[in-house]
Amino acid sequence: MIFCPTGEATLGPFFPPRYVDEGANDLTKLEGRPAKGEVIEISGSVTQEDGAPLDNLVLEIWQADASGIYRHPADPRHARADPNFLGWGRAATDRDGRYRFRTIQPGAPEGRAPHINFMVMYSGLMRILKTTLFFDDSNDPVLNLIPPSRRKLLVAKGKNPFEFNIRLRGEDETPFFDD
Amino acid sequence: MATVIEPLDPRTQPARLIAGYPQTAVRNPAQPLVKRAPTLSELTGPAGLEGRVKLLGGDIAGHGAKQAIGQLIHLRLRVLDEDGAPVGGAMVEMWQANAAGRYTHPNDDDHAPVDANFHGAARMMTDDSGLIELRTVKPGAYPVPTKDGWWRPPHIHFSVFGRVWLSRLVTQMYFPGEPLNALDRIMNAVPDPASRGRLVARLVPPTPELYNALAFEHQIVLRGRNATPPQQ
Repeated sequence: MIFCPTGEATLGPFFPPRYVDEGANDLTKLEGRPAKGEVIEISGSVTQEDGAPLDNLVLEIWQADASGIYRHPADPRHARADPNFLGWGRAATDRDGRYRFRTIQPGAPEGRAPHINFMVMYSGLMRILKTTLFFDDSNDPVLNLIPPSRRKLLVAKGKNPFEFNIRLRGEDETPFFDD
Repeated sequence: MATVIEPLDPRTQPARLIAGYPQTAVRNPAQPLVKRAPTLSELTGPAGLEGRVKLLGGDIAGHGAKQAIGQLIHLRLRVLDEDGAPVGGAMVEMWQANAAGRYTHPNDDDHAPVDANFHGAARMMTDDSGLIELRTVKPGAYPVPTKDGWWRPPHIHFSVFGRVWLSRLVTQMYFPGEPLNALDRIMNAVPDPASRGRLVARLVPPTPELYNALAFEHQIVLRGRNATPPQQ
């Protein structure tokens, strides 16, 4: 029997600030124990069509550990995942539309280039927007789905600290995925 | 356990652009979304979130002199996958307005009164049967302060973490028999009437231990089914 997935809805403007727990944007340690690998910082701004920064927008990330392993039973290598790396984090933007994550440079999962999955949740977004950050424009089957002229929009700028700006609509609009 | 994710039927999901909800027009991509077949990266997802964030219990209506104002409700929420199998160990975050339609949030500067005994938030893990239980008050309706705004019907927000990244869900639950339901621009953005109906909780007989609360049941279905279902 197939049950129909529940309809999504906007997060709205009143997502409790307490749900963006202190330290939820720092993936580099778990219960005080440091994860393996290179600590990196990723920050950026999130803007709407007219370029205005968006305040109190919620971002979540999901990624593999330094060895490219996901801490999840569907990964055949998960028994060797870093026990001190959960792979998930959450951040909210400030008044200037800025967010920041501290994490571990992900390794390359099998068949993929190193990458970090992002979700964007906000008032006015009836569906979660999903995108993926890459560290260079290397050969990745997901990045290759993007028209070549737009691929650079998914590649983080700089070298630790990285900058990854998210433009929801308009000029240099971030490519988003339909899964 | 491997999870299979199939494309969603768009009629079961809300339109991204809604006339009369102006934020949708400036925050949704103008470019078409890029279709991708799920890889391991999207078919895995966070587990053990209770070690990462702080849980908040589901009895949020207060007791005795500190009981929140409003109609006490007891909500049994069940989280299932597309096989109808319970999703245990799923983190559920809920938030809602108080009985007067006011949120405990700095963005809510509406005139409706705050209730010092009600903060309207719980964060829990489902049990093995996919269940969480809430003791709360029925949220009030409130006006959306945009030009040509409308009134939101009473509703409760849910954010749910499933087994994999693509099971992540943010949704809202409504109450049966509310005249504002038919006028709500957010609920009615879902084109399929049956799918809209599944956003509405069901009134059920009260349970003996909470005889003084109106009882509701609700079901949330996350994307995904088991790749290797157990033999019947």
